[in-house]
Amino acid sequence: MKTATPKVEIKQLAKVYPNGDGVRDINLDIREGEIITLLGPSGCGKTTILRALGGFIDVTRGSISINGEEVTHLPPEQRPTGMVFQSYNLWPHMTVEENLAFGLKLRKTPKKDIKRRIEEMLEIMRLPGTEKKYPNQLSGGQQQRIAIARSLLLEPAVLLMDEPFSALDAKIRMQMREELKRIQAELNITVVFVTHDQEEAMSLSHRIVVMDKGKMAQVGTPAEIYDKPASTYVASFIGEMNFLERGGEQLAFRPEDVSIHTDGNGMRSGVIRSIMLLGHYASVTIQTENTTIKAFVPRHETVELEEGQTISFDLNKLLTYKKGA
Amino acid sequence: MSSQKLKKWTPYLLTAPSLLVVVLFVIYPILNSVFRSFQNKETGGFTLEHYQYFLTDPLQQSNILYTLKIVLWTVLITLVFSYLLALYLRFSGSRLSKWMGMLTLLPRFIPGLVAVYAVILVIRDSGVINRLGMLVGQEWQLGWMFNEKGIILMNIWFNIPFSTLIIFASLSGIQQSIIESAKDVGASKWQIFRSMILPLSYKDALVAVTFTFMGNVGSFTTPFLMGGNSPKMLGIALYDQFNSYMDYERAAALSVLMFLICSLSAVVYIYSNLKEKEWEKRA
Repeated sequence: MKTATPKVEIKQLAKVYPNGDGVRDINLDIREGEIITLLGPSGCGKTTILRALGGFIDVTRGSISINGEEVTHLPPEQRPTGMVFQSYNLWPHMTVEENLAFGLKLRKTPKKDIKRRIEEMLEIMRLPGTEKKYPNQLSGGQQQRIAIARSLLLEPAVLLMDEPFSALDAKIRMQMREELKRIQAELNITVVFVTHDQEEAMSLSHRIVVMDKGKMAQVGTPAEIYDKPASTYVASFIGEMNFLERGGEQLAFRPEDVSIHTDGNGMRSGVIRSIMLLGHYASVTIQTENTTIKAFVPRHETVELEEGQTISFDLNKLLTYKKGA
Repeated sequence: MSSQKLKKWTPYLLTAPSLLVVVLFVIYPILNSVFRSFQNKETGGFTLEHYQYFLTDPLQQSNILYTLKIVLWTVLITLVFSYLLALYLRFSGSRLSKWMGMLTLLPRFIPGLVAVYAVILVIRDSGVINRLGMLVGQEWQLGWMFNEKGIILMNIWFNIPFSTLIIFASLSGIQQSIIESAKDVGASKWQIFRSMILPLSYKDALVAVTFTFMGNVGSFTTPFLMGGNSPKMLGIALYDQFNSYMDYERAAALSVLMFLICSLSAVVYIYSNLKEKEWEKRA
C-alpha cells in the first residue's frame, strides 16, 4: 500500500440540510489501494459523505480532491468515481452485456475492446457466460457483482459503495465480503464503503471511520478502533463493551478481557445471573454491586460455574474515559 | 343442498348478478346493433348498404376523416404535453412542480359542460382574448370556434390530466438509483432519457395514447358545442342518425364503424401488453 499522496483528499467538508442535519468538519485522506469504511448508525451522515464524493449532492463548505484535482463542484458524470448502490443498480431493460457496455460506449471505446474487456471482467467476477442474461434472471449477489463490474470497467479512481450488501442474505453477504476483498486485492482499487454493520466494517476494511451525528468520531485500523476506542460512543458501537463507574471516570472493558475465578482470588466479586452457551465460548452475566457486566469464557471453563454462584473476577485490560466523553 | 354442492356453486352465485347485468346491458345491445347494421329496413334481409353509405357518401367520408384528424392531433399533442409535464413533475423537486402536480388534477373536478362553456368564453371571437387585445388596441380573433381547432384545444384540456397521471406513475416507478447510476457512468441528460427513461416508460405512454384515442373517437359534448355544421365528428353524426333521422340501421352501422376505429388502438394496446419482453418476466 502506497501512502505517499492521498488518492482522495477531503478538507473541512460540510453538508448541512435545511433541517440542520448533515455532516460537519470532515477531514479525511484516502490512500490508494485501501478499503476505507464509513461506519455508523443510520442518520450519522455516512451516506452523505459518500454521495458528496460521487457528486450526487452539493456540499455546503469544504473541498474534495481526487488524484490531486479538485472535483468539489463537478457533477457525477465528470468525476472519476464509480458508485455501487444498495439495490436496483442495474438497468432492468438491458442485458448484462448492455449494462456493462453502456459506459464504455459513451467513452467511444472500440467495439472489439468492449467485448474483450467485458469478458475479462466477468471472468474476474466469476460470472462468465452471463452476457445475454437480464438482471432479473440473476440472484441478488450476482446482480451486485455485475454492478461492481460495471463501475470497475470504467477504471474509476475510487469505487464508492453504499451499503451494497445490506439487501442480501446473511450467507451471501459473507461471500460477497470475501469476493470484494479478493477483487480489491487483485486490481488494487481504492474503495470507500458505507455500512452500519460493524462486523462488515471490521472484516472488510483497512481503515474504519466511525461516524457520530455528522462528525467523525474516530479513524483507525479495525484493531485500533477495537482495542483503543477514542470515546465511550465508539467503544459501545464496536463490539461489546462493559462499563463500570469509578469516581468521575468510566472504566470500559471487553467481555473477553474478564477472567473469572472460583477460588476467590479476583479483585472484584459478583453473582452469576445467567450462563449462555454460544458455541465454543459462553457469555456469562455477572451481577456486581451496582451494575451487571458480561464476560466471555471458554466453554470448558463453564463446567465449574453455575447460576447463582458467587465468584470473583479480574479485568485483564482496562480503558478509562472521563465522564461524558 | 349439501355443503359440498354449495361450495361448488358459490362462485357462480356470487358472479351471477354482474354477469346478468353484463349480458343484458352490454352483450345483448352490441349483438343487436351488429345484427341490425346488416339488416334491410323494409325487408329485414341481409344488406351492406348502410356500411356502403358511410364509406362512400362524400359527406360521411369527410366526417370520418375529420374525426380521425381531430383524434390524431389530440393524441399527439396530448402525448407530447403530458410526457413533458410528467417528466417535469417527476424530476424537479421544486415547489412549483408540487403545485403544478396538484393543479394538473384540477380539470378532473370540473364538469365537462362547464369547462367547454368556460373555454368558449375565452376563445370565441368576442371572448376574453379578444377583449384583452382591445385593451392594447389590437383586434385578436382566434377563429377557433366551429372548426377543429377549438375541439382539439378542448380535447387536450380534458385529456392531459389523465394522460399525465398515467405517465407520471410510470416515471415514478423508475428507481432513482437507475438514473443516478447512469449519471455515474457519464451519461448526459439526453442519453439518460433515451437509454433509460424512454425504454422504461414508453409502454405506459402507449396506454395513455390508447385511452386518449378511444375516448375521443366517440366524443360528443365538445364537438356538439364547439363544432361547425359540416364536417361533423362521428359522435354528432351518430346523434343525427339516431335522433333526427331515426334511422336505427344506419345508426347501428355507424356505431360498428366507430367501434372498429376504437379497436384499432385496442389492438395496439393489447399487442404491446402481450408482447412481454424478456426483462419484464419475473425470474
